[in-house]
Amino acid sequence: MEHYIGALIRWVLAPVVLIIAAIGLYWLFRAIGWSKRQAMGLAIVSPWIIGFVVFTAYPLLQSLYLSFTESNIFGGSKWVGLKNFNRLFTADIEFWSSVRITLLYALLSTPVGVIGALLIAMLLNNRIRGIGTYRTIYFLPAVLPEVAVALLWRWMFNSESGIINFVLSPLFKLTGSGVPDWFGDPDYVLPAFIIMSVWGIFGTNTVVFLAGLQGVPRSLYEAAEIDGATAFRKFIHVTVPQISPVILLQVIMGMIGALQVFTIAMFVRPTTGAGKFMNQLVYERGFAQLKMGEASAVAWVLFVIILLLTLLILRSSPLWVHYESEVKR
Amino acid sequence: MLMLVFVMLASVFLAACGSSNSNGVNQNSGNSSGTNTSSGSSGSSVSSGSKVTIRLATWAGENEAKELQQILDELNAKSDIYEIVQDSNPAEYDTRLITQLSGNSGPDLFWVSAQRAAQFAAEGIMLDITDQLNASGHDAAKVDDYYDGSLMPFSRDGRIYGLPWLQQPVMLYVNKSLFDEAGVEYPDGTWTWADFMDAANRLTIDDSGHHPGDPGFNADAIKQWGFTLNGWPPSQMFIWQNGGEVILEDFSESPIDTPEAVEALKFYAELINSPVTPSQQVIRDRGFDQMFRNKQVAMFMGGAADDLDSTVENVQAFMVPAGNGGIKATFADVLGMAINKKTKEPDAAFAALLDLTDAIHHWKIMPPRKSLSDLASLQELHPKKAHSLEAIIASMEFAKPYRYFDNYPEWDNVYWTQLMDPIVNGGADPEGLIPNVKRLLDETLK
Repeated sequence: MEHYIGALIRWVLAPVVLIIAAIGLYWLFRAIGWSKRQAMGLAIVSPWIIGFVVFTAYPLLQSLYLSFTESNIFGGSKWVGLKNFNRLFTADIEFWSSVRITLLYALLSTPVGVIGALLIAMLLNNRIRGIGTYRTIYFLPAVLPEVAVALLWRWMFNSESGIINFVLSPLFKLTGSGVPDWFGDPDYVLPAFIIMSVWGIFGTNTVVFLAGLQGVPRSLYEAAEIDGATAFRKFIHVTVPQISPVILLQVIMGMIGALQVFTIAMFVRPTTGAGKFMNQLVYERGFAQLKMGEASAVAWVLFVIILLLTLLILRSSPLWVHYESEVKR
Repeated sequence: MLMLVFVMLASVFLAACGSSNSNGVNQNSGNSSGTNTSSGSSGSSVSSGSKVTIRLATWAGENEAKELQQILDELNAKSDIYEIVQDSNPAEYDTRLITQLSGNSGPDLFWVSAQRAAQFAAEGIMLDITDQLNASGHDAAKVDDYYDGSLMPFSRDGRIYGLPWLQQPVMLYVNKSLFDEAGVEYPDGTWTWADFMDAANRLTIDDSGHHPGDPGFNADAIKQWGFTLNGWPPSQMFIWQNGGEVILEDFSESPIDTPEAVEALKFYAELINSPVTPSQQVIRDRGFDQMFRNKQVAMFMGGAADDLDSTVENVQAFMVPAGNGGIKATFADVLGMAINKKTKEPDAAFAALLDLTDAIHHWKIMPPRKSLSDLASLQELHPKKAHSLEAIIASMEFAKPYRYFDNYPEWDNVYWTQLMDPIVNGGADPEGLIPNVKRLLDETLK
């Protein structure tokens, strides 16, 4: 009982301290001449700001610092400059194969996820009886834990009794190739992961697209119909431009998610011949080898890759994203 | 201002509603109530009586934790020094423990694997108990009584940082029914690789009853295999059996290019590619040990504590075969317990360590102490494994763990990803890989 009381006291104490800090900040801002409104606003969001600084900003900067050091998790870091990065880029046995499979996976699985989710959302956007039930059913995969999903996929990829090889078997017979060993043959690991990424189509992605589709004004479709547009043309010239901001969001979020794939890869554990995903590398270097410096360096390279790809997509967006409020220049 | 306070109070209320205890399973049953505190920092504290609370972290799962709690209840009742509180959580045990230890909120006592023990000893995480062991008259403190290999992971520069509570040698599990059907004699202490291969061959049968090498043998229609391997059992064991080494005693080199090591790795690769073992794809599809349980495989190498001989009918554990030169060696998984260097109660923790280590020695197979390796008393303790115990005890003499060191995980990563994975999954020829892998392994030793 005693240690529950201890925990309870800590749980109560933390918010009390935050309140005192917020009140202190309020008086501080008032003292330096801020308006009541400004000081109140900042004081109210201050718990979040403190949380952000302590639990996000500080660890972020600390990991950047660690990437320039030789350090393990038990402390004792030594500044080594660019040595970790230098080693990764020139001498590491796993780094480049890891970058390769992570990038390829992101580039190939993102379109599958976005296009698939859009198509499902269009199906669910129909006004038919029981559509609510269908929408619920299509959301169900999203509430399953990732490890359970990985287990399910492993079963489906089983080359003797799995459904995937059963479905693909005519293709194997046609090409005369043997039944693939999905997780044992390095050539099949990436395709296997892309097939597994289909799972990401369902759930949140579909819901976001569905919301986007429901925001498309009916009048546009009616105008297109009067002009004699086919269903396909309506999709290309009305639906896609209208929901292009949603597509942009989905592409960016999907790609970031794909670059950070971890749980399913750790659970399925395919042959290392195809390379490990970058987040696996971060985990192994940090927690198996206790080399936090190297782990941080890999994490920061991953961060830079995500940043560059996101910028690339954002910069290309004026070419294909349509905003209604946009003024053509 | 009033509004600010109101908003804050509301958020306190919501935060309290949403809070939950994230400390994992806390197995505090039995008579330990009223004396436990796990107040974050280094664990221990003096309870209302004069006993000291010792927090013990383990990876025990639900059933194991229940059995352990019974032991702890007995120890706690007997002791007037400590009260051990169990904190068991098998999920991500290592990551959790490392985070706690690095954040100064570690337990007083913790279970530790041999590999982690070597790392922790190098990092100065575990308490040096050498002098206390020498001064103690406790049965579990007699260092000479332990099998040599079992103390290795806990020793560094002549000092001891923890005690092993289990040493589990790799055994050869044999399905005697399949041996009888094939008319093959059971393994005995004289088995070498040649005898093993001969038996594996005769135990491998295709649809029409042919063995590998017979005219008409169909490798695509095998219904029973002699043996199975997938990177496990470890190739290091075969190198030892052939008189080779993977890491020298002074950690200066990984001599995997010696003729002994090369020959052993080639033997391993031959086994992988031979029809006497199923393909990796089949193993993945049907399950590694599951195939042995289903009588699709006649021989399986597993740890001495495995339940294959107690849950599968007519299965018995034998010594693994010796190398062709007669050298006996087997890999031993060693597990132990150590004291957090930052504990506030080192003396009580040491007393708890000795008592609990001794109690686990009387609980699990196989205790790493020579004085406890008595066949009759072990058979009484473990009736389900009685028929295998003679071979297990005999194996303890030549069982040893890997030569762990602080950078071992990186060494192991190179060994697996650059050498074993290509051999096991890619069908690669070890000879082509060895020169480059040796160079990479040597680099990790620097």
